[in-house]
Amino acid sequence: MMRPILRVARATFHEAWRRRFLNGILLFAILIIGSSWVFAYLQPGAELQMIIDIGLGAIRFFGMLIAVFMGTRLIPDEIERRTIHTILAKPVSRAQFVFGKFLGGAATIAVNLALMGIAFYIVFAIKAPEFAAAKPEDAFIFAAMYSNIAKAIVLALFEIWLVLGIAVVASTLFSWVLSVIFTFVIYFVGQMSDFFQQLSDPGRGASQIAQVLLGALYRVLPHFEIFDIREAILQGTYTPWGTMLQTMGQGAAYLVVVLLIGYLVFNEREV
Amino acid sequence: MKRPGKLARVARRCFAISLAIKTENLSKIYSQDATGRPVGLIDLSLEVEEGQIFGLLGPNGSGKTTTLKLLLGLIFPTRGSGQIFGLPLGSNATKERIGFLPEGPYFYEHLNGIELLSFYGTLFGMGGSRLAARIEELLHLVGMWDRRFIHVREYSRGMRQRIGAAQAMINDPDLLFLDELTSGLDPIGAMEMHELIMELRDRGKTIFLCSHLLKDMEPLCDRVSILNQGEMCQSGAVEDLLRVEDQYRLLISNCSDELTQQLQTSAQHTEAVGNHFAAYYADQSGALAAAQEASAAGAVIEQLGAHHRTLEEVFIEAVGGEE
Repeated sequence: MMRPILRVARATFHEAWRRRFLNGILLFAILIIGSSWVFAYLQPGAELQMIIDIGLGAIRFFGMLIAVFMGTRLIPDEIERRTIHTILAKPVSRAQFVFGKFLGGAATIAVNLALMGIAFYIVFAIKAPEFAAAKPEDAFIFAAMYSNIAKAIVLALFEIWLVLGIAVVASTLFSWVLSVIFTFVIYFVGQMSDFFQQLSDPGRGASQIAQVLLGALYRVLPHFEIFDIREAILQGTYTPWGTMLQTMGQGAAYLVVVLLIGYLVFNEREV
Repeated sequence: MKRPGKLARVARRCFAISLAIKTENLSKIYSQDATGRPVGLIDLSLEVEEGQIFGLLGPNGSGKTTTLKLLLGLIFPTRGSGQIFGLPLGSNATKERIGFLPEGPYFYEHLNGIELLSFYGTLFGMGGSRLAARIEELLHLVGMWDRRFIHVREYSRGMRQRIGAAQAMINDPDLLFLDELTSGLDPIGAMEMHELIMELRDRGKTIFLCSHLLKDMEPLCDRVSILNQGEMCQSGAVEDLLRVEDQYRLLISNCSDELTQQLQTSAQHTEAVGNHFAAYYADQSGALAAAQEASAAGAVIEQLGAHHRTLEEVFIEAVGGEE
């Protein structure tokens, strides 16, 4: 059961590293993260905040880009290059194929994020103590930052896996351009899901139709903003593991549903 | 190596015949042409016995690849049904027993020969020393052992074809689907592949060949079906299709106008074959008499004997001279 999935995943992982475009995004992301301390000087007195904002923001943004551009090509490339024919002619079910492709992509993203994370930690370890020393009142915030950054990266990983899942499913439904647009739209709209909830509040004068439509959007869309804990890090708020697990569980549950939809669509797809 | 003789065929009919492939009205309609005629594969009913080499022939766009894809479960029929070894098309149980070499095969470029076969082998749950031994055996068999560490991206077309044949056999399948097997191979490579197919058949394997290279198919296949515009227009044992009952052919060159007129009178029918002139007779004595007449008239006898058609002729007749 698992062996074909892991074999497809492994091949996907190796193939992914041969894509120059994705390597280019990673390189660019590391450059931005590596130079985040330079940008920090643009806002005197808030250097620490700037480093966190730019570093973690870059990890999330470039991770999302990699997920979209890789995810929307994982299955279409197999179909266009016809490598899928020899694989599906072997005892590999379509479910195993879809899940294997996703798993390979997810592993690629994990390594990408780990590399970006390492780059960020290096910059942070070199420059943050200097910035923190200049602002003694932020010492307690700084102390919690090392572990909080790790938590933020783990949450970003779950968020980007979710984006990857959506991209893979979109690619089984639409053309490449449309699936890229679709995934971007879901991602950006999903960042504002709380906003939809507020708008659908009858107390704010939302009409009946607005309540139904915006309420439905709030329920259906993934809540990407829950994966962003930058604000909490900057305020020195400790993010408990319970909250972390709850957020990760929510992402994983959504991901399972997304992949199930992907399987159902791909099961009917002719290759 | 010869085809199973009449006795073998009769024996098969007398005893229980096991079918490797059976389709009933298998159809895949993509669209309709300007005349409202369906485009795709239409009502294909096939029976391929176990241990046979079966050839599916047809011009480009006749539905060969669609048939293969349907049999492999890569696409789904609009109507009709099919079975492989009595199992549903596309099921994992079916796929355990088959091998597939697509036309112009594509593989993961970053893998070398060993890694590629290992990849496909593990999809069958193979591993360890069993898989390693099988990989070595297959690489030797397809002549790729010396090039086993070369990556697929550096492969020539012929090398891709050879490694493609190896991956199709990794699970020692009972039924092999081979689409344009000799495509990209030099004459020696093509001959080696032919020998391989005959060897596999002798080991009881069933081979399903798709090709438009009729000269390659003729000596290999036990049975063929010819597709044209999505429909089967001819099917049968190759021996039966090629045989022309009671016909003898006299082929001559250096034929004068006078002799031509004489032969046209005595023969059933005549035709120009390149620079030669052919006359067909219903009996051997008529053909012999005409040969003597031609020889006396100064013509050169190129060939005289029972007439057999080529698969190419059968094909052209079946598809109405479109190819």
